[in-house]
Amino acid sequence: MADPMKIRASVMGDKVVVKVLMAHEMETGQRKDSAGKTVPAWFIQNVIATHNGKTVLSAQWGPAVSKNPFLEFRFSGGKAGEKVVVTWTDNKGDKRSDEATIS
Amino acid sequence: MFRFINLILLSVLVSAVNAQAQGKYPGIGRAATPAEIKAWDIDVRPDFTGLPPGSGSVAKGQLVWEAKCASCHGTFGESNEVFTPIVGGTTADDIKAGRVKALQEPMARTTFMKVSSISTLWDYVNRAMPWNAPKSLSTDEVYASLAYMLNLANIVPADFVLSEKTMGDVQARLPNRNGKVKYEGLWNIRGKGDVQNVACMRDCKIEIGLASVLPDFAQGTHGNLAEQQRHIGPARGIDTGKRVQVPANSATVSLTKSGGEAMLNLARDGNCTACHQIDKRLLGPSFQEIAAKYKADNGAESRLSEKVKTGGSGVWGAIPMPPSALRDEDIRALVRWILSGAPER
Ligand code: HEC
Ligand code: HEC
Repeated sequence: MADPMKIRASVMGDKVVVKVLMAHEMETGQRKDSAGKTVPAWFIQNVIATHNGKTVLSAQWGPAVSKNPFLEFRFSGGKAGEKVVVTWTDNKGDKRSDEATIS
Repeated sequence: MFRFINLILLSVLVSAVNAQAQGKYPGIGRAATPAEIKAWDIDVRPDFTGLPPGSGSVAKGQLVWEAKCASCHGTFGESNEVFTPIVGGTTADDIKAGRVKALQEPMARTTFMKVSSISTLWDYVNRAMPWNAPKSLSTDEVYASLAYMLNLANIVPADFVLSEKTMGDVQARLPNRNGKVKYEGLWNIRGKGDVQNVACMRDCKIEIGLASVLPDFAQGTHGNLAEQQRHIGPARGIDTGKRVQVPANSATVSLTKSGGEAMLNLARDGNCTACHQIDKRLLGPSFQEIAAKYKADNGAESRLSEKVKTGGSGVWGAIPMPPSALRDEDIRALVRWILSGAPER
């Protein structure tokens, strides 16, 4: 399984700011290895963030996103102590879910 | 070098003017004033001697971190490909034991894996960070940024406030607090060393073989080593200057400060040369590479001046250039000089 995400969620004014660092190769499918063989595409396709069970962010990604992607977003209605859960699924069907407590 | 000699001359003149008889060493300088000693004496010891009172929360630390540290060290202290990560590699068990288990494996080490006294980090950030503007943080900002790093490393909770009073609590939870070994010969000047240097009296090796050499491609990386050694007496250090490609006319330094030389000095004073060289890539692109890239670009001068002023990344790679504190007209002159190929004269 992939390495855990790093997530920080903190209240800033009337919003919760969430920063996420994901560990993923994000292969574009365009690169060739030293033997000249194409390295198969392998990238995160879907990202979903939920707060109290409600989806606050849903994204469809493609191979143009960099290796180890960094994502920052904000949403309203969150309070300190509550949890934010971020989940990604990649094109091989691998999945990873991590959570952070809002501070 | 000539600037250095000028400096010496200048200080000789100044001390000649100041040459009043001064206690033990008449004619040699003057006693440092208490204010000068206070400004210089900023070290913080493991027993917290020298630690100024102040405080900073994790939340405030996050703001300081994002504004002043994250561009180099990453939002999560994970750092980019150049700097070593600050956070990572420690576990809750390490915090209990005071000894980081991962150190036993041959892996890259993070700051929190190694550090055994929290005072070291406080002192280091206070005197050396941010790298491009050392000693610019307030005492509270040092506490706050450290609190943020400690929270990233799961050593303190998100509502923690670090202060001179809570530094001890942090020390008691530092993952590698018991990791320091005090080898006698290194730690104690009177201690017995672990090397016994006995002169060879019999069957001694006569011929000395070359064990390693600096590879060709690395020869010029730090300029000519021989020239940087002592200037009096036999020079040590091999001549690494020959294999460096410098423009032919820069071999000698002229006494008069021509345009190029003045610009080079400005680039040194403005700290640009910490990351840039004229013809070689360091952290940032070489000045010549920059000139080549924007050769046919009329708008480059103002665009690049703005970028040097505000900092930025993404054109040459992921490593960011921090904002420069130089005056606008100096930045502009530097960029014009860089775009003209950064001639040394
Ligand atoms: C312009 C880039 C840059 C910025 C901005 C910066 N640093 Fe650094 N930092 C470095 C470099 C480079 C080193 C390693 C220096 C060395 O080894 O001599 C370092 C080292 C450190 C270390 C010690 C790591 C170790 O294990 O030795 C700490 C702690 C640190 N920085 C904290 C901070 C804090 C806090 C800030 C913000 C207030 C900050 N840095 C801003 C570049 C930067
Ligand atoms: C801490 C390291 C650092 C310092 C100090 C620094 N630079 Fe840079 N510089 C960089 C990096 C890294 C880049 C590449 C940025 C990029 O990829 O967009 C760069 C890029 C540049 C560029 C090209 C920008 C572009 O968009 O192509 C110019 C011009 C430049 N620097 C001039 C300067 C000048 C002048 C100074 C001194 C006032 C300076 N730099 C100080 C690291 C530094």
